Amino acid sequence: MNRFDIQAFGEQFLYDPKNPLLFNNGFFVFFFAAFIVLYYWFRNRLTARRYIFCFFSLYFFYKASGSFVGLVILSAIVDYILSNAIYRQGHPLRKKALLLLSVVFNLGLLFYFKYTDFFVELSNTLFQTGFQPLNLLLPVGISFYTFENLSYTIDVYRGQLEPARKFSDYLLFLSFFPKLVMGPIVRAHDFVPQINRPWQLQESDFAHGFYLIFSGLFKKLIISDYLTLNFVDYVFDDPSRYTGLENLLAVYGYAIVIYCDFSGYSDVALGIARWLGFSLPVNFLSPYQSGNITEFWRRWHISLSSWLRDYLYIPLGGNRGSSFAGIFFPVLFFGGLAWSTHSLFGLSLLTSSLLALGLFSLFLIPALIQRNRQTAFTGMNLFTTMLLGGFWHGASFNFLIWGALHGIGLAVHKLWVMGPGGWIQQRQSPSRWYQLFMLVLTFHFVCLGWVFFKAGSLELAGSMLHQITHDFSFSVWPAFFGNYKTVVFLMVLAFLLHAIPDNWMTDRIGRFSRLPLIVYLLIFSGFALLYGVFKSAEPVMPIYLQF
Amino acid sequence: MNEPRRVVGFVAWSTVLLLGFSIASYGLGFSWTPFDRINLISDVVSTDSTRSVSKDRSTAPGVVTQSTESPERRFDRYRTPARIIHFQTDTLRHALPHFMERLHALHQTKKGKIRIAYFGDSMIEGDLMTQTLRQLLQAEFGGTGVGYVPITSIVSGFRQSVRSEYSRGWTDRSFKENPGNAPLYLSGHAFKSQSDWARFTDRTRGDSSQLIQKYLLCGSDSNASILLSQQETSIAAGGSFNRILLSSDASRVLSIGATANTPTLYGISFESPEGIVLDNFSFRGITGIELAKLSVTWLSAIHQSQPYDLIVFQYGVNLLFRPMDKDFRWYGRAMQPVIERFKQAFPKSDVLVVSTADRAFRYQGKYASAIGIDSLVSVQAKAAFQSGVAFYNQFATMGGTNSIVDWANRNPAWAGKDYVHPNARGAAWLGESLYKALMREYRLYVRSLNKGKKTTPSTP
Repeated sequence: MNRFDIQAFGEQFLYDPKNPLLFNNGFFVFFFAAFIVLYYWFRNRLTARRYIFCFFSLYFFYKASGSFVGLVILSAIVDYILSNAIYRQGHPLRKKALLLLSVVFNLGLLFYFKYTDFFVELSNTLFQTGFQPLNLLLPVGISFYTFENLSYTIDVYRGQLEPARKFSDYLLFLSFFPKLVMGPIVRAHDFVPQINRPWQLQESDFAHGFYLIFSGLFKKLIISDYLTLNFVDYVFDDPSRYTGLENLLAVYGYAIVIYCDFSGYSDVALGIARWLGFSLPVNFLSPYQSGNITEFWRRWHISLSSWLRDYLYIPLGGNRGSSFAGIFFPVLFFGGLAWSTHSLFGLSLLTSSLLALGLFSLFLIPALIQRNRQTAFTGMNLFTTMLLGGFWHGASFNFLIWGALHGIGLAVHKLWVMGPGGWIQQRQSPSRWYQLFMLVLTFHFVCLGWVFFKAGSLELAGSMLHQITHDFSFSVWPAFFGNYKTVVFLMVLAFLLHAIPDNWMTDRIGRFSRLPLIVYLLIFSGFALLYGVFKSAEPVMPIYLQF
Repeated sequence: MNEPRRVVGFVAWSTVLLLGFSIASYGLGFSWTPFDRINLISDVVSTDSTRSVSKDRSTAPGVVTQSTESPERRFDRYRTPARIIHFQTDTLRHALPHFMERLHALHQTKKGKIRIAYFGDSMIEGDLMTQTLRQLLQAEFGGTGVGYVPITSIVSGFRQSVRSEYSRGWTDRSFKENPGNAPLYLSGHAFKSQSDWARFTDRTRGDSSQLIQKYLLCGSDSNASILLSQQETSIAAGGSFNRILLSSDASRVLSIGATANTPTLYGISFESPEGIVLDNFSFRGITGIELAKLSVTWLSAIHQSQPYDLIVFQYGVNLLFRPMDKDFRWYGRAMQPVIERFKQAFPKSDVLVVSTADRAFRYQGKYASAIGIDSLVSVQAKAAFQSGVAFYNQFATMGGTNSIVDWANRNPAWAGKDYVHPNARGAAWLGESLYKALMREYRLYVRSLNKGKKTTPSTP
């Protein structure tokens, strides 16, 4: 007999740590339907509409992370008060003090939750301090809304933005549920003016929002989740059990997974926002189509890289100055590199110093070529930005290494452009082969970064690279393909989809005339069933090809 | 044109449709797995008809698990976690009598070598679990050295307890590939080359001044030689299995090279003159029945020069490769003769069967223990019971059903996300748990000795 379980029904409305709310929960369907109906009902009463939006956003936050919703409200209150105080304060020194207070508050909160244990363990290892780690849970979205808070108060301080007059405006800017868990990082000057606009929508907005939402869900729920569970996690968890070919394919697989995860989530956020009449800036532009690493960062997680440019790189000195931090962090990093390669990996003192110096000289050589000191500072500022940007992604040495790799990659690219690369570009247009080669090279460099980004520890990353370089053989391919057919198929599909030029789909959507609702409903049903099929698919078990 | 209505219409219609189908599927009793996975009301409807995985857990037919008969009740002790079960009537009696006696003698006299052969699959690869057990036993009873090391190994980069470097030309015959059925060593491997080199560094902890004996394990050849420190050195390899002492000093490094006269090599062994030697014989992907390929004559030849005091078999996880398998009686029938064969070839040695650890599959989207795992553990216990050897329930020790799911999801994790392999952290805990279980038996043995002394009437 089927019974309606009233207790289970009640519990659906409460936060469940084992099942936090995401776009793919059944609960989200009801949540979104209720929200849309109310939003539509009150569409012309702006205050009520704003409160409804705030309520649903905070409730989403609660269902996603429990009591941490209090943290969002607290930081909204503090930053709302501080930003208004900064705006009104005429005295430059006091204005600066207020800004400093806001920075300390926001970064302090982020640091406390995200980085305390990292430094506790570092101190325990280096100085045998024996501190107890705090083992805190990381509040959902804190890395994102901390950056939004910072950009807001800094913009107000710089006089580029008038602070939100109503608290609910600010609260909504911070807690806007579509972007809550994984961004994009929204700027107040883009977002706040849109809050109190009438809800206006073109047919193309509806179609485009629909496309963004369902292609995003497809990337996240079908491609990324399937590859993660059925292949990528196996290998990254214990690389030495797998051959070099499997390890390499797992890295390619992860390149797809991280892109589909991140950009899929962003697309859903952008699509929902679009349906609600908000336009958020695009966050990913087919990053693996980049022909060099500088271009990659113009296409990858754009809201983050532009944030880092405006609020980290430029304050460090950008391409016009230098600062203590812009020199301190590179020196600290390369000093640490020399020390750790010597004492942890057993390189001789000379070799490890030469290695660190050699890498550091990547910033000095362009300055010598151009006979301009600023060039070196610019390179170091960029490196510092990448290093700290890497650390933003997570509190571990692997993320620092990932950031540093990209910093070094950018410096190498700069040198390349000054030398042979620039020469090739000047000769008419470079051949297709050259472009393809650069694309493949850039992709592999990014993949090298992903090894450190994803691997659970430095040893695992090392073991993975060791397998790829020392235990590589194509002979395992037939057995691999036999076991992982669906995985291979999805990987190929993902790369093909990625190869489609960015505006191809947008152009097509713009040309559609109004399709009947039933077409959309059919696509939706098809997607839902496909999702069901993948969710209930027999899991692919790992095989061990290495006998 | 202003189109918010389109959004509202789409969202409302799609919700109504999905909800309608969801309710209808329960109302009309219609079930199709892909749709069940997206059913919107599945969390709030409780049904009696759906067979949950946990209800489906039962042991295979024919395996006696509960009975009032005394032998069955003795057998039923196999369920106890963290204990060496010997299935004897006297539960206060210690298990593994020969091994315990030897341990005690070693403890008293500090003389002699105790040898343990630990057979297993990928669960003990890279010396996982066994390195912890070895280290703890050596700390308590003395001894240093990593024991057996194969010439080449797929996990040499990963293994912490020894560092192996070797050239690429060695041919490795093994259980998986053995043309001509050449004799394979206990590890399931045999290595051959005429010109390759290998270099080993023992990295087990220990007093750096302690002597370490470095043995070469090899087959026969009338005028055999190997390269030692670039010098061709002849070795006496007359028997079918030979253990040749190459050096005995404080150095923990050994380099060898093959010559045209080098016989088949099985590996080398780092061991101290006194104390515990624990050999790790891991072979990925096997279930233990492959050991039946080693003949009794051959095993006896190994026993002659290298007698073992304890033989441990830890297999099982590779039998659980299909989520729905539940009947493993065939495995019991195949594994029992292997145990018997080792008992015959190593007559003094105690034997311990260690059960499979937990492994999970995804059932209805959620990871849960393989539904056949209870059945497999019981089959393994039965094989031990019927061969009269001891049993250790690793599955129950881990925490039983779904423990691997818990281990994989811990932070920091204790097991890999394949929901099969405990990682270094989990394996260390397993090694320590087995050590504690052995020590419990050891204390029982020592107590029985003391009791014996007390009750012996003193001569007037």
